[in-house]
Amino acid sequence: MVELKNVNVHYSSGVDALKDVNLRINDGEFVFIVGESGAGKSTLMKLMMREIIPSTGRVFVNGYNLSKLKGNKIAKFRRSIGVVFQEFRLIQDYTVYENVSFVLRIADQSNKYIRQRVPYVLNLVELGHKARSKTKELSGGEQQRVAIARALANDPGLLIVDEPTGNLDPKRSYELVELLKEINRCGTTVVMITHEHNLVRYFGGRIINIENGSITFDENIGGQDEDE
Amino acid sequence: MKTSNVTYLIKKGISSVWKNIVMSFASFSILLVSLLQVSCAVLFILNVNIVMSNIEDTNELTIYVKEGATDAQVAHIKDVLENNRDLTDVKYYSKEDALDDFREDMQEYSELLDYLEENPMPETFLARVTDLSKIRYTVDVISGIEGVEQVKAPYEFAGALVNIRNTVTGITAAVLATLIVVSIVIVSNTIRTSVFARRNEISIMKYVGATNGFIKLPFFVEGMFIGILAGAGAWGLTWVIYDSIFALFGDNLSLWQMFGLYGLIPFSDIIWPLLAINCAAGALLGAVGTVISMGKYLKV
Repeated sequence: MVELKNVNVHYSSGVDALKDVNLRINDGEFVFIVGESGAGKSTLMKLMMREIIPSTGRVFVNGYNLSKLKGNKIAKFRRSIGVVFQEFRLIQDYTVYENVSFVLRIADQSNKYIRQRVPYVLNLVELGHKARSKTKELSGGEQQRVAIARALANDPGLLIVDEPTGNLDPKRSYELVELLKEINRCGTTVVMITHEHNLVRYFGGRIINIENGSITFDENIGGQDEDE
Repeated sequence: MKTSNVTYLIKKGISSVWKNIVMSFASFSILLVSLLQVSCAVLFILNVNIVMSNIEDTNELTIYVKEGATDAQVAHIKDVLENNRDLTDVKYYSKEDALDDFREDMQEYSELLDYLEENPMPETFLARVTDLSKIRYTVDVISGIEGVEQVKAPYEFAGALVNIRNTVTGITAAVLATLIVVSIVIVSNTIRTSVFARRNEISIMKYVGATNGFIKLPFFVEGMFIGILAGAGAWGLTWVIYDSIFALFGDNLSLWQMFGLYGLIPFSDIIWPLLAINCAAGALLGAVGTVISMGKYLKV
């Protein structure tokens, strides 16, 4: 569960990135967060993964009060969520297997569990055959799927996905959202940040629009994929 | 943390040395040069100390026994001198020994001594002071022994040597301290560059929930491994350089002896302690330098 209460984020540069934002995302939901560049989407994501704290207000994610989370608890909190970054943020010198197994090592899982879990999540994103490949040898779409596999490795309750289709062609973009929907159907809450309105209109569901740091729209709409 | 994960992190640290070979080589080279400088300076200081000790060992006190002192008093003086920790090489010269020595010194005029009715030479003791800076105190102590007439001491020689030793110690300590500080600055800058090149990797680890300890361990191992290699390399080079100087010393022994250098410390005497110290210093510099340099990249 994600909850923001009266959240304001004011940067030292003078920019008010978020203004009095109130938001609640329940467990099991699939939510699109849309908005133009500079609207405040990235700030919202930074808040949800405790990269920054709000200037005022409170942020709760997975039962953690992020506004008051102490430095030594941040790592534990981040292991409870999965994050897919727009620019992937994979360790390029590692193999696909190492990038995914790394988060399981962080969670202090046993070798046996790692040997079972990594192929499972790689198969989920259809990259089982690329396990031994170096990450830098993969295409943008494949790297995106490795990032998703890594985010899913620890079986998080919440998956935050930032602009996942920015580097993909339309066909791959639709396939990727289908994959995220499938993950959501298995019980994981998915928050997808995007500026691609066509994609959002196609899939529908709960859509939150941010403009100039404020939520201007938060409703469920029907998608075209349901009509087809 | 599970043993398997600790083992994984240690392996990761060692394999990173080869994966980041260019930066590893840069860190290795800087550490090697720094440690080489320091170990050469330490060897120089050790040998200067040997030279100073050799020169200091040439000091001598002459302790004159009072005319008419009894055998018991002479034995008492001998006993006190031999048990004084500030003295070494205590030797007794009887009146006869002293006269014989004097006769030898007189050479062709020695026959003149045959006309003496009585042996005028005093009984004496010769001794060396172990710590020249305490020569006045030691002389005072000896002068207070019953039966001692007079003590002659090379005060000017001792004063000059103490001044030279203090100056040499001060200069060498300053040189060594400067070398160590310069080495630490250069090493930490090189390591910082190496860590900077991998800041992205560190930030990714933070974003996916790694603790600082988890991130630091492989870097710590990597820095320590490079440091040990550099320490061993510096030790090997020191050995080669020192042996060359040793050979030069052997060829010009009489020249060196003019400067009070009767023998360099053989490298075999310090071979293992020097290796251990070099490797330990390298490991410490490498590991601690790496971990400290990571600090600001861990604040994500």
